[in-house]
Amino acid sequence: MKLKILNILEKTSFILTLFLFAFIPLYPKFPLLNIAGTYVAVRLEDLLIAVVIVFWVIGRYIRKDWDFFTKDNTGKAFLLFFLIGILSLLSAILLTSTVQLHLGVLHFFRRVELMLLLPVVATVFTTKKRLTSALIILCLTLFVVNIYGIGQQYLDWPLISTTNSEFAKGLILKLTPDARVNSSFAGHYDLAVFLASVIVFLTILFFMLKKRWKILIIILGSLSLFVLVLTAARVSFVAAFVGVISALIFAKKKKYLLLIFIILGLVLVYPSQLRDRFVSTITINLFNLGQRYEGRNLNQQLESKLNIPTLPYKMASRSALAAPFASASAGVPVDITPGEPIDVIELAVYRSYQIRFNIEWPRAYRAFLKNPFLGTGYSSLGIATDNDHLRSLGEVGILGTLAFFLILLSVWKKIYRGINNEDRVVRYFSAGTLSVIILFLVNGLFIDVFEASKVASFFWMVLGLNLAALKLKE
Amino acid sequence: MMKKIFIIFSGLLLVYMIWPGPSKISDFKPLPSSAKSTLEGDTIQIPNVAAYFSDNFRNFVVPFYLKNYQQNTYLPFPPLRLNHPPEYSWEVIKKHTETTYLEELVYPLRDSLYVNGYEIFRPDGTPIFYSVPKLEEAGKEWPTKHTLRLYTSNILARIIVWAGIIISMKMIFRLGGRIVKE
Repeated sequence: MKLKILNILEKTSFILTLFLFAFIPLYPKFPLLNIAGTYVAVRLEDLLIAVVIVFWVIGRYIRKDWDFFTKDNTGKAFLLFFLIGILSLLSAILLTSTVQLHLGVLHFFRRVELMLLLPVVATVFTTKKRLTSALIILCLTLFVVNIYGIGQQYLDWPLISTTNSEFAKGLILKLTPDARVNSSFAGHYDLAVFLASVIVFLTILFFMLKKRWKILIIILGSLSLFVLVLTAARVSFVAAFVGVISALIFAKKKKYLLLIFIILGLVLVYPSQLRDRFVSTITINLFNLGQRYEGRNLNQQLESKLNIPTLPYKMASRSALAAPFASASAGVPVDITPGEPIDVIELAVYRSYQIRFNIEWPRAYRAFLKNPFLGTGYSSLGIATDNDHLRSLGEVGILGTLAFFLILLSVWKKIYRGINNEDRVVRYFSAGTLSVIILFLVNGLFIDVFEASKVASFFWMVLGLNLAALKLKE
Repeated sequence: MMKKIFIIFSGLLLVYMIWPGPSKISDFKPLPSSAKSTLEGDTIQIPNVAAYFSDNFRNFVVPFYLKNYQQNTYLPFPPLRLNHPPEYSWEVIKKHTETTYLEELVYPLRDSLYVNGYEIFRPDGTPIFYSVPKLEEAGKEWPTKHTLRLYTSNILARIIVWAGIIISMKMIFRLGGRIVKE
């Protein structure tokens, strides 16, 4: 009887987890339950992940198998990271008064939820057949994501966005001129990180699979690269190439590096918003060039210096409760101030830089100074820092950040052994996963990749798949 | 050797964290040449808040409270000075606080004093924009208003957090060593 229940639980966990591989990337970010004080909502995928985790926990309980947390160093590092997270929250509530209890708890549980996908996948995908099914589902999902992104760009297909509080209510939108595709990811950055990661895996699959599959991989890879260019996400584009280069090195295919640099050159020469953004990054942010808005008159120039939202002054262009920046996606914003570039793309690039350097990164730095050991708690830095490493230092301090890197180091060391495995599937898969870790760390310099739910869950699931593959072969 | 350093560090951290300091806003001196605000929201409605209409500006007020905070704490070093965006005052002072700057004086892992400045005149007497509102208190017009809010923490909470930090450090060293050797 016990065995029968276990069998049912195990099969259900597998089917549900497999379903997650498609559902998480494809299901639009419709809010299910709104939370006071934030526009981050609980969504259907959160419930589904919770169900998967509950099934997994029941299965472990019946088996009395808690080896992952009691014997495995990766599992111990997970526990340590969660404990420090709780301690950091405690300190944020009792010591620094920097979080609201419900928001801090919500953010904490979201991290737990996403990260637990690693042990779930690592213990559920126990056969080669199951691993293959996950890869097939991922490839099909990728195809749909790409087609949907292209549909948004050229056929006006609807999209859901969470880039501001109003959009995040689940409004059905269409892409405006100069706006960037997000497919089913509700944000172009998230889509770009996902595409960059799968491009790395496709590079590896190209060498791993037999000849008849290679053409399909090339088509899927080209499609993904094209949509990645449409997202115009500079960091993810750079990270994708760093990832592909490291994948080739790990897979011992260095002779293809030249080809990668040629493709990189061609993409950068091809007229696109991505290219324009790269150029603007250099001309606007580094060399301070380009035509700037001078203001309608001298008075407006003076007024712009008083642009403090808390002043009872008519020209203050934003409310203290509103997000501190406006989307530059639909033409020149009405709140352009003297000194800012007039060109829409240049303005977007300028603000993207200014927001990070003058608002988000200093905020994280202040939080770190306030409590260097434990930070100021989950949710204390708002929704984004746009640098995941700084965010980690600010939210959970040096201790939480070290514990997080211990998890990555532990997983890295295990997977690194896989690149010398005698099984070529494990060997190539490990090369791909290691490169995805590098890609995420690079992306983390400008984007909160480990908190962006869709890409973060993808990350932990892929690591779990690789750990499962290693166990199979051991 | 490492063990000794760690024990000394833990002891010093505990002493620092439980060292007594100001427990209420009235422990801080009022601003010189000022009038204490009696406006709603500046007195008893919000805990540990005090506000002063005065002739003093940021370059005097912040160093004044920096020194006063250190005197109240008896620690051999001043608190850290953090400059926040003005709009953050709506979260840490109170909603609709009028602000032109907001600074936090903080002893990490202990307590914080926020100094919120509302300076609508420059030191030379010129307004920073046309038709600035009047700041009136005690029958006089003032060029600035400064609001203070103190955030303290319970000593038991500090001890719990201290213990958590020490245990976490030990666990990180131990587990880190194992993972590196793995």
